Amino acid sequence: MPESRQPGPHLSLVKADNPLRPGEQVDWSKRMALAQGGDREQYRALLLEIEPYVRSIARRCFKHPADAEDAVQDVLLTVHSVRHTYDPQRSFAPWLAAIENRRVIDRLRSETRKKAREIELTPEHESFSREAFAHETFSQAATNHDGIAERALHEAIGKLPPEQRDAIRMLKLSEMSLKEASRVSGRSIAALKVATHRAVTNLRKLLKGGQAS
Amino acid sequence: MRTPDLIDTLANSAAPVRRLRPPVLRAALWLLMAAAVLLLLAVAHGVRPDLSTKLHQQIFVAGMAFALATAILAAIAAFKLSLVDNSRWWALLPAPALALWVSTIGYGCLTDWVSIGPDGVRMGEAIRCFATLLLTSVPLSLAMLIMLRHAAALRPTEVSVVGGLAVAAITSFALSLVHDLDATIMVLVWNLGTAAIIAGLASAFGRQALAWVASRVVPGLFQSPIR
Repeated sequence: MPESRQPGPHLSLVKADNPLRPGEQVDWSKRMALAQGGDREQYRALLLEIEPYVRSIARRCFKHPADAEDAVQDVLLTVHSVRHTYDPQRSFAPWLAAIENRRVIDRLRSETRKKAREIELTPEHESFSREAFAHETFSQAATNHDGIAERALHEAIGKLPPEQRDAIRMLKLSEMSLKEASRVSGRSIAALKVATHRAVTNLRKLLKGGQAS
Repeated sequence: MRTPDLIDTLANSAAPVRRLRPPVLRAALWLLMAAAVLLLLAVAHGVRPDLSTKLHQQIFVAGMAFALATAILAAIAAFKLSLVDNSRWWALLPAPALALWVSTIGYGCLTDWVSIGPDGVRMGEAIRCFATLLLTSVPLSLAMLIMLRHAAALRPTEVSVVGGLAVAAITSFALSLVHDLDATIMVLVWNLGTAAIIAGLASAFGRQALAWVASRVVPGLFQSPIR
């Protein structure tokens, strides 16, 4: 505690680096009494003066500066809405500290609740859902690991009869059009369609652990 | 919204406000309201027929007195607690009276155990009891919620539990005054049961109820800060 500080009541939330001095507390109390009577300039001065003090406590309680700033605004709004409950015969600082204490604890609690309920999405979650969506027919292969699903699919394609394997590689993996595939392979469009259909049916069986027909 | 802008907005919208009266005075006002409700109830329904006999029974008088004391102390505690710079220990103010009240009911139950009979309670009386319960507790709870709405952002749970206790004790007092429930188990159920239900509802929904009342009467209190 600084040498210049007078002995007397002090705040539970305020530590040694308390920006308050006793003289200021008296001023705040007077300013609030005037603000209750509708003096807007005194009220503005009061809010501007308490803001750094409120922030210094909020910064200690919240890691993220944006959270601390939200808490500061919350405290100022609460002070505003309950300003009629302040009794000018009592000192202002404990009143303010009690309000800040309550609001900060409430915010910390709701933050904890939110964290317990919500999971932050990472790229892993995203790739899992995309992978699962793309391969939803291949339920066996739809694991949360890209590599496993892909390898299983490639192995299954490798086990297909040659005409089906080529059809699926051209039309699905290389994303050729039916015309392009027909030109490259020299087979008719109808034959390619049939081969692709059979390939997909076979892949389903293979990925479920059966044999290609 | 940036904080300096918020301060500007708040300062520009600062209308004169009327300071709250001292908490004990406000508690007295609420108790006066409770007395009016009890009086109306007694006039409308009439007191229990055997009241003069019951008033000679020490245990009955003690139970009534402790219920009333619990109500008065809990009301004072609720109004004290609703001011954020008052100590939390005010919540314990009604505790001794509550303990004595509960023990008189328990004692009566123990000594009069044999008086529970098939004719002890009539169903019609139980329903009228329920009506009395609602007539007393609903208006008094509403009045308390409105009078304590400023506590919504600060001490919602403590204030509503202690306030609920005050309502519960008054309700129980009204039940004993108006209805002749002599089967002690029913007295126990009605007194402690309603007290527990009212206090339980207050603790479960007090926070939301206070917030709801506050948002209707003090709009803007629960808007989250705008970035």
